[in-house]
Amino acid sequence: MVLDKSERKQSRSKVIVRRRFKKNYYGYLFIAPFVIGFLVFGLYPIFNTLYLSFTDTTLLSKEANFVGLSNFQRLFADDVFTNAVKNTWLLWILNFIPQIGIAMLLSVWFTSARLKLRAVGIWRALFFLPNLLMPAAIAALFFSLFSFYGPVNQFMVRAGLLPEAKQFLQDPMVARGLVIFIQWWMWFGATIIILMAGMTSISISLYESAMVDGASGLDMFWRITLPLLKPILIYVFVTSLVGGMQMFDIPYLLTDGRGSPSGSIMTNNILMYLKFSSSKGHIGAASAVGVLVFIMTSVCALGIFYFLRERD
Amino acid sequence: MRKSTFYLLSLLIVLGLALAACGGTSTTPDTAVEEPAAPAEESSAAEPTAVAPAEEPAATGKTVLNVWSFTNEINTMAVAFEGLHPDVDIVYTMIPMTNGEYQTKLKAALGTADVPDVIALEASFVKEYVEADFLADLGELLPVAEANKTYPFVIDVGTNDGITKAFAYQATPGALFYRRSLAKEYFGTDDPEQIQALLADFDKFTEAAAIVKEKSGGNTYMVASSGDFQNPFFANREQPWIVDDTLVVDPMVNKYVETAKLFRDEGYEAQAAQWQEGWFAGMNDSLVDAEGNPKQVFSYFLPTWGLPYVLAPNATSADGTHDTSGDWAVVTGPLPYQWGGTWLGVMKESPNSELAKEFVRFATLDQDNLTNWATGVYTNEFLKAIDPQVPDDQQQAPGDFVSSQVVVEKIIPSFDNSDLSAFLGGQNSYAGFAEAAPSVNAKLMTGSDDAIQRALNDPINQYLNGEITEDEMWASWKDNLRIEFPDLIIP
Repeated sequence: MVLDKSERKQSRSKVIVRRRFKKNYYGYLFIAPFVIGFLVFGLYPIFNTLYLSFTDTTLLSKEANFVGLSNFQRLFADDVFTNAVKNTWLLWILNFIPQIGIAMLLSVWFTSARLKLRAVGIWRALFFLPNLLMPAAIAALFFSLFSFYGPVNQFMVRAGLLPEAKQFLQDPMVARGLVIFIQWWMWFGATIIILMAGMTSISISLYESAMVDGASGLDMFWRITLPLLKPILIYVFVTSLVGGMQMFDIPYLLTDGRGSPSGSIMTNNILMYLKFSSSKGHIGAASAVGVLVFIMTSVCALGIFYFLRERD
Repeated sequence: MRKSTFYLLSLLIVLGLALAACGGTSTTPDTAVEEPAAPAEESSAAEPTAVAPAEEPAATGKTVLNVWSFTNEINTMAVAFEGLHPDVDIVYTMIPMTNGEYQTKLKAALGTADVPDVIALEASFVKEYVEADFLADLGELLPVAEANKTYPFVIDVGTNDGITKAFAYQATPGALFYRRSLAKEYFGTDDPEQIQALLADFDKFTEAAAIVKEKSGGNTYMVASSGDFQNPFFANREQPWIVDDTLVVDPMVNKYVETAKLFRDEGYEAQAAQWQEGWFAGMNDSLVDAEGNPKQVFSYFLPTWGLPYVLAPNATSADGTHDTSGDWAVVTGPLPYQWGGTWLGVMKESPNSELAKEFVRFATLDQDNLTNWATGVYTNEFLKAIDPQVPDDQQQAPGDFVSSQVVVEKIIPSFDNSDLSAFLGGQNSYAGFAEAAPSVNAKLMTGSDDAIQRALNDPINQYLNGEITEDEMWASWKDNLRIEFPDLIIP
């Protein structure tokens, strides 16, 4: 049977509909791994943590009770938790400022059309190298460098800079300084790479015309580079904040895993881990720390997005 | 000009990295030996056997038994067990416990399908598990223990509310090891009996420390660190740390703090923390202070296992230039104590609980096995004959002190002219430990000891350094305790 024109049109549109549906269907299929992964490993743990934080669950006892807000009350009963939060912010801010500062300076130099530095790739690779080392190895390295019978003491005493050997890692200021230095040293190379990627994507013609108009290097940085780099900066800011609030490996491994000396490098996550790995494994109490850190980080990240948003 | 600033800055940073990297390679400490009974054989730690599902028999049709431990020690017994039971395949998993990884991993596995059949439990946390509800009742093995005359404290530790859940192959009374040559120099004798009389209690020990300092011109320290004598003080408390959910600070704890402060202020200790570089260097006379002056350490508090696993291997320096072997002697010391030890328990959920119990019996209560274990029968060749896959460093050197009095008495004479007695200038340490072992008391041990004592370390260091007062030290310790013991009543 021969179809007339209108029927033919109809069937063609049906094919198109089916094809469109099929396309969409494949789209869902392609994003399914992420969505499933996120639901199982992202969303479910968040809700489970929230649930656990209202119970007195421990790993070593089989039954658990609903205890309301008492886990949270306990956190504020003494100043251990507030101290951990203060420490985390201090350690993060003091390593982030020099990190972004040095990274920005070096990125500007590396990408500068005026300086035309040679072997930029090699410098960038060298600065990135510390990031490839294991935190455990770095912590062990600094631990032995600054130990009582270690080379730093030997050097400083023999050079007359110290009257006698000092227990560096039992001094709160030294321990904090070391954590800040290590974090900066490990991460500024990674920040350089991201900032440089952002800067090289800015059209060179903007700088050329600015130079023709007689703009100085500083002018160009403030009026061209920085505004156009804002999305990248927000990204660096937020990822560093999230990472900083979860700072764990270096302060955990540098001393005795309890934030010593004097709780000076006790961070949010070390506190959480201590509660988790305590004699009975108080995962309920540990979850309460996790929930508060989650809320704090989310609020701050949203704040960054809000204050640095594009204003019309 | 700016270009040169850049190069200068970059060069400085790179140079800094390079220097930091160079400095470390020569000084990385041997952090492997963190815990009692850790022979520091980390090589097998690198490749722990994957955890095979317990229900599935291996391809060969053998029954699979999963054993978890924190050193490679027990693997030796596992291989020996396989030799006697060809139908059994023991899957051995080792997780180090340097910073408590083993305990954390074990806690996380409880109640899941990954839970092993047999677990090793170190003295610092064995009570947690004996007091909790995860281990099977091993009461049926008690008659065997009785026949072995297993030391009473070994069974006490493995027992809670009358139910015995864990046994140990070791007994671990503590001792004091000292340098013979230094004793002769400062006290005119190196005879263990006379030295023991000079160091019979801690007041005498402190007096002796003053003599050592004076006669050596401050170049010999009585101990490497005040942490060394923490165990003897804590072992002689009258009350456990926790009574009726309330924290108890026994007078012995105050006495420990007092003595530690005195040793620091008077310069009787080298400030070389346990398990760190300086502490090991003291054992072979290669300790050098920051100015480059050589320093010596007179004595170390170590238990039974400390001799074959810690002191003997470290008595020779890495470059071979310093060797103190043969210059050591052992005495009971100022206070009797016990330190460390490994217990074995069977998980309730184990699908092969009968076989698992048989393994625990073999490892901890079998007289033949204990004899082989202590006298060096389990050589690498012996193990390779059973299983050619055994790593090259897997073996058991003679000298570990076992838990059965029957076996101990039988094998004492075999140590009369052994390598270990040569190390101690002819002294048979096994005989000395045999005298100390029956009087060890472990009734004070609870599951929380380790965490409570660890929490005290940093406040004490701050106090010893003079950064905080004693009151601040106690307050800081109590704050630390609240983190891990939310239900503890802290006066």
